[in-house]
Amino acid sequence: MERANTLSATIMPPSPAKRRPAQMLGYAMMAGLAIAALGGPALIGADPAKQSLLATLQSPSIAHPLGTDHLGRDMAARLLSGAQLSLSLAFLSVITAGLPGAILGVLAAWFGGWTDRILGAFADAVLALPGLLLVLMLAAISPGSWWALYAGISLTLWVEYFRYTRQRARISLAEPSVEASRMLGLGPWLLVRRHVIPEIGPGLLTIAAFGAATAVTSVAALGFVSVGIRPPTAEWGVMMTELLPYWREAPFLILQPVACLVITVLALHLSVGGLRRL
Amino acid sequence: MTDFFKSVFAVLAARGLQAVIVAIIVGIVSFAMMHALPGDAAYRIAAGRYGYDMMDAAAAEAVRLELGLDNPWMVQLWDWLGQLAQFDLGNSLVYGTPVVDEIATQLGYSLLLAGGAVVASLIIALPIGIATGLAPNGLLDRVTLGLSVFLRAVPAFALGIVLVLIFAVQLKLFPVAGFRGLENLILPSFTLGIGLAAVSNRVVRDAVVDAMNSDWQMFARTKGLSARLTLTRHVLRNASLPVVTYVGVQLAYLIEGVVIVETVFAWPGIGHALVHAIFGRDIAMVQGTALTLGLLYVALNLCVDLACRGIDPRERV
Amino acid sequence: MKYSIEVTALTVFAGATRLMGPVSFQLQPGGTLVVMGETGAGKSLIAQAILGTLPSALRAEGEIKVNDRRVDQLPHVERAKLWGSEIATLPQEPWRALAPLMRSFAQVKEAHRFVAKRQAHEATQATKKAFEALSLKGAEKRLPGALSGGMAQRVAFAAATAANAPILLADEPTKGLDAERHSKVIDLLAEVPQGGGTLLAITHEVSVARRLGGNMLVLRDGELLEQGQTSSILDAPSDRYTQSLLNADPQNWPVSAPSHIGKMILDVKNLSVTRGNKRIFEGFNLELHAGEKVALTGPSGIGKTTLLDAMAGLLKPESGAVARDGSLAKHSIQKLYQDPPAAFPNRVRLAHVLQDVARRHKTEWSEVLQTLEQLAIHPSLLERRPDEVSGGELQRISIARALTVRPKIIFADEPTSRLDPITQRETLAMLARVADENQIAIVLVTHDKNIAQKWADRAVSLM
Repeated sequence: MERANTLSATIMPPSPAKRRPAQMLGYAMMAGLAIAALGGPALIGADPAKQSLLATLQSPSIAHPLGTDHLGRDMAARLLSGAQLSLSLAFLSVITAGLPGAILGVLAAWFGGWTDRILGAFADAVLALPGLLLVLMLAAISPGSWWALYAGISLTLWVEYFRYTRQRARISLAEPSVEASRMLGLGPWLLVRRHVIPEIGPGLLTIAAFGAATAVTSVAALGFVSVGIRPPTAEWGVMMTELLPYWREAPFLILQPVACLVITVLALHLSVGGLRRL
Repeated sequence: MTDFFKSVFAVLAARGLQAVIVAIIVGIVSFAMMHALPGDAAYRIAAGRYGYDMMDAAAAEAVRLELGLDNPWMVQLWDWLGQLAQFDLGNSLVYGTPVVDEIATQLGYSLLLAGGAVVASLIIALPIGIATGLAPNGLLDRVTLGLSVFLRAVPAFALGIVLVLIFAVQLKLFPVAGFRGLENLILPSFTLGIGLAAVSNRVVRDAVVDAMNSDWQMFARTKGLSARLTLTRHVLRNASLPVVTYVGVQLAYLIEGVVIVETVFAWPGIGHALVHAIFGRDIAMVQGTALTLGLLYVALNLCVDLACRGIDPRERV
Repeated sequence: MKYSIEVTALTVFAGATRLMGPVSFQLQPGGTLVVMGETGAGKSLIAQAILGTLPSALRAEGEIKVNDRRVDQLPHVERAKLWGSEIATLPQEPWRALAPLMRSFAQVKEAHRFVAKRQAHEATQATKKAFEALSLKGAEKRLPGALSGGMAQRVAFAAATAANAPILLADEPTKGLDAERHSKVIDLLAEVPQGGGTLLAITHEVSVARRLGGNMLVLRDGELLEQGQTSSILDAPSDRYTQSLLNADPQNWPVSAPSHIGKMILDVKNLSVTRGNKRIFEGFNLELHAGEKVALTGPSGIGKTTLLDAMAGLLKPESGAVARDGSLAKHSIQKLYQDPPAAFPNRVRLAHVLQDVARRHKTEWSEVLQTLEQLAIHPSLLERRPDEVSGGELQRISIARALTVRPKIIFADEPTSRLDPITQRETLAMLARVADENQIAIVLVTHDKNIAQKWADRAVSLM
């Protein structure tokens, strides 16, 4: 106790400060991606679907800043269109999964008993299978549909918010401080607002960022193995499959969607402190 | 000792329940897939059985009657799950062969890949994690942290593509895809293993740091044990607990990775077969392979649970 | 003259800041040195400097000799060779000091085997003997988590002294132990100098110092205040701080003036309480009057907190009744907790916490500020979060929070057991004063019989 106090007060720099540069980089990357996703192909005024069989597999030029693919489509426009698709889906599924997940988690912790058991059993059922396997099967019910992907990803991500919130809220609500606040006459809303929300807030943000990264990766993975979004839609995973046969003629093309995917996931991870949550 | 058996029994019961849930979910989703597909299910099944040439409206009608496809869907679902409960996985709609036979050959390959991935991840993560844990905030620690953050952001299939391009295509060190011998195992194993190790080396590191900063580590030293004895007798054992627990968390990543990475490397395993079956609408195969992967997941989780019980003799509430 | 420990002008720095010292002392075989002071006084730094276990950010200056050999300049590896063989260390919190996954017998045996370098079967024999001598029979197969605090401390003692090191360092060896187990551990320590060993004990408790005798250092904020024979310092301290430290020992408290007692407001009749399926109390009776101060005493683990909760209406008794007087409103009963930070939401500023309560009960904010002033809390502290103020301040803020509701009864569950002695005394004195001014009845749960006798109007012993 003594040692810890002396140390933390005098020498040890607060650890969040150390992470700042990486986190700032994450924010900057996120801002860039947000602009790309909001603007889409309109940013560079090119049509991602327009083919030109006379100008396939071209190197970057002024007309096509990132070159063209095997059908002569503008790579930059296709990547921007892919960003739009992946990020909007990630954003929507995080909201769809996060809000109900967190609210149900608090309710389960608050009421306990059967509410808790039923919600818990549902969560366990979703967790019985690895997430991607479940998304894969749900996507297979209606192949190529954006909605099936969205529903499948939201359904799998929901559980994380729920379990985290339930566990933390359960701990918070069992603390003497909640009993004290109750005896002092504070109502349910104030109890949740003062005791639970401040405790779960930062963690939820982290789960959201990692969840969004999972969503982006899943969309690309499914697209890549040809069971997700279908060509000719410009989706990063689909583009990788399409461009893989041309690696010898134009290796820079296949690496572009790979890089986009890595940058997006990295930005999301960095913005919440990298590997802090494992 | 009875407490020990009680806790083992509790683990078995919980995982058994999970296995049942896996079967029900897979059954329901496959059933939904069957009914969501465009066209008449009876025709599709008949075509699967007799081949497209031999199939006509009468055959489809016979199938419809036999399978009760005119019954309310609740009854059909019940029958569907009932077949699953008898381990009747049916025939592949594409190849016409029993699904069980297909899976039997594929499972070995998938287990080989999963095992290879775990071994690869341990080869990478354990030495790095222990070394960085013993010298936290040193140069190696900071470099591996940066690398871990970066590699964690590279999805398995993207890493697979990059590794193929570098090692198989450019350097020609390993075969690109398929399975002809153990040399085919290296690239896919390390593709998955690097992904696993990117996180688990930090888990090992944190566990070692925690153990080294603990009061009991200090006391083991001040009671006179040497640094080496303290490490081997206390630190590693205590640090292994969170690591093994974390392997349990990573199993989901492992199974997901098997599905995707098998496809990248055209590995003849279950994951590849599942993706193939979804693409080809071969519902019996989808059901069989998804079920096997799900049960594999449960079985591996069971192993991790039992390993934790073995390492940690403390009674749990 | 041969000294076991000889320390000259030892000073510990963090960067350029002096944390402790300079102190000098010598200890002969058979001698005892007690280092006394409150939390943050830098007591532990002395032990860490002698052992060579100071955190790497700290730096020690001065000279340290162990058995006539200068050690402060030795490399870490060389100093570590003294551990166990020449210097034994008794840890602060034995539960946390024993390796959680190894059974207690093995933890002692490995010290005999690898530190005292005995053969395997000899080590087993020696360990068996130690378990017998320390009356630890039956604890051999237990993991540290399943040991009581006193047992854990004895296992740690057996492991630390396996190689018969002549010097024993004990850093707050009684922390977290209640009175009875307390004295057993002290007896164990007192035997060390009698057998020709050297004892250096660190404590914040006057009673421990008195029991161990020998010589003594008194530290405050790293400054050496007094040095000399323990008995003469305790009998006639020359420093004012030492004096207040002595006064803060509940044994030396003056008996408080009787409270102004009003009518009966809570009638506890024939109360029986169970926890799990174990019955804790049967037929407990208590008549509580307005303005009265009652102390409940008893050893730890007997269920004092459970009883308190039953009287406060927080849990349903198995049988019996708690009758509240009609004049009591719904929130007239309030509670104070043992661990002040646990009684506040962790991440919320204290001002918010108090404002929530004041708003709910339509108490004027000026009135709250007035109460805080009475409790010597500066309003600027309210801008902080609970973990940013000291335990003593936080407990006083929680008293102020309870007063905002205008309670008639306060149940106080060991509210000062985690505070330093001087703070404990001040806090309880303030609690008594505000209770008296507002005619509040207080039920104080404590494990310290002296506090019960000196502070309360009457004491109820639960045995």
